[in-house]
Amino acid sequence: MDTSTELANDLAGGLDREIATLKAKAVDYNARHRVIENCTWPQGVKMAVNFTADFDTMLLRRLLNEPPSQLAKGEFGGRVGIWRLIELFDSHDIKATIFTPGRICELYPQAVKAAAKSGHEIADHMWEHQVPKDPELERDHLRKTIAAIEKLVGRRPIGTRSSHARQLLLEEGYIYTSEDSLDHRPNYTGDPDGARPLLNLPFHYAIDDAMFFSFAWLNSENSAQRMMDPDHVEEIWWQAFLQQYQKGGYLNVCMHPFVSGRALRIAMLDRLITRMKTLPGVWFPTCEQVARHILDAHPAH
Amino acid sequence: MPWKDRYTISDERTLDDSEVTWPEGKRCCFRIVVDLSPVCGPEGIKSADLATPEAFYGMNGGLAALRAVLDNHRLKATFAVPAVMADIHAGTIRALADEGHEIAAHGFKHEDVSLLARDEEQSRLKRTTEILAKVAGRRPEGWFSLARPGDKFAGGAVSPHTIDLLLEDGYAYFGNGLADDLPHWWVSDFATRRAILALPYYYHFDDQFFLLFPRKGTGLENPDALFRNWKAELDAQYKRGRQFSMVLHPHAIAWPNRLHMLERFLDHARGLPDLWHATSAQSARHWVTTFPAATYLKLEPSIWRDYPGSLS
Repeated sequence: MDTSTELANDLAGGLDREIATLKAKAVDYNARHRVIENCTWPQGVKMAVNFTADFDTMLLRRLLNEPPSQLAKGEFGGRVGIWRLIELFDSHDIKATIFTPGRICELYPQAVKAAAKSGHEIADHMWEHQVPKDPELERDHLRKTIAAIEKLVGRRPIGTRSSHARQLLLEEGYIYTSEDSLDHRPNYTGDPDGARPLLNLPFHYAIDDAMFFSFAWLNSENSAQRMMDPDHVEEIWWQAFLQQYQKGGYLNVCMHPFVSGRALRIAMLDRLITRMKTLPGVWFPTCEQVARHILDAHPAH
Repeated sequence: MPWKDRYTISDERTLDDSEVTWPEGKRCCFRIVVDLSPVCGPEGIKSADLATPEAFYGMNGGLAALRAVLDNHRLKATFAVPAVMADIHAGTIRALADEGHEIAAHGFKHEDVSLLARDEEQSRLKRTTEILAKVAGRRPEGWFSLARPGDKFAGGAVSPHTIDLLLEDGYAYFGNGLADDLPHWWVSDFATRRAILALPYYYHFDDQFFLLFPRKGTGLENPDALFRNWKAELDAQYKRGRQFSMVLHPHAIAWPNRLHMLERFLDHARGLPDLWHATSAQSARHWVTTFPAATYLKLEPSIWRDYPGSLS
């Protein structure tokens, strides 16, 4: 072979290797995830709607040394917002899921207890709103949160909104995550061979109050602030609900007490829920109820 | 470590709607704050900030148009005035005071006080009080530290000393509380129960964030979103019997399309029976008398702990 042919073969081999590398990654990722294609609901239910609240009251901002006005903005969630959300859900006989950082159990114990007493699920939202990189510290944080929640409400959390490691969550008895938007339908994540599956109840940033109503959300530029009004967001969320209702699907509405707990937004949520309830067969359970139903009706294996 | 270290509030829960009362059986408190600072940076007002078309409009045609609308609706507002602006526009500020509007402090020059040493902050604060007292004819009861459009956070800046310095200098209220939508007690020292009354502020009801924000030529004009936010909050808070407050900037809100929107909103507000139109000082006086810290500030026991491996 002459030199130019060798060079051409090398280049072709390089491209083949690049394709193989990309393909291996994609195949591995795809093999780890399985979407529940035709999720059915309990008798008489056409659609499940999970109202979920991330009860973080800007906790992370305190730990990041952000200024007092930022912390005060978050305090609204613990002082005012969470109570209004509990009242709103109770008035509609909705059981919600409150994803609660462990340290919030120290800051707002009365609110966490009141939510549990009303039948809302208290689930994990990390110890201090972040997952440590060190695996041992991560386990320590997860266990601290379990202990803090169990101490307040008398039972261990079995769901989380976090990126805690799947293996760790399974070891600690967790049955679901509600963390990401791999699909708009509930889905399983496991090993490539399907082992150690964990159910995920997806939420999407488009159905997250903080994306519409928050200023200075994690270092965003001032020109990118989210200053929308409730009517605008009500319509976006209503359209998401309606589309899934027609499909007999699933919707997870993510709220933050310091955002959605403002009076103007509680009024909007009240309208939205009232609208949803005009349609027959809408189920408003906790994430735990949805998870237990799916694990029974649509197990991973 | 004290309870809720670096947070602003100690008690865990706001007043229930049913506990809130306003003077003469009024149903809901309605408050307008007008910020008379021109657009400036964290160092506060500089010469260049005063020599702009917007700054000129804000203290001349814009302010006159806004005053006419307030007069037409028979509304008295709280004007948050940086000391240097009071000194430069002494005649205008005195006239506003004489018309029955409240003149409150808005920093020496609307600077970010968290960048100042305690002595410097104290010296500017005292000077501000003196200037405003002289110009307005009576000393200010309240202090504002409102957000600048370029600020990274929209809540306004305070230093670790601000609240104590305000209390030492005799201020009755601080105008930037984000932890509640009612007046509430901002705790500066847990052990001695030292606290100042904070009046609620929320940037979703502040015009500057909707009107060509963050700066002219690059921002989007969203007066409709601002109107709907104002109306939705006022209606919800009126129903609850709590309070509504808004912040206006004459250089922004007075431009014709916006002023027309403001008039529509004020017409709506004026149509609500038993709305208490109060200045910030009137609202604060009512609160201090009716919900004093001695009985209404419930300090929670300290349970916040340090843990190895935690950020605290």
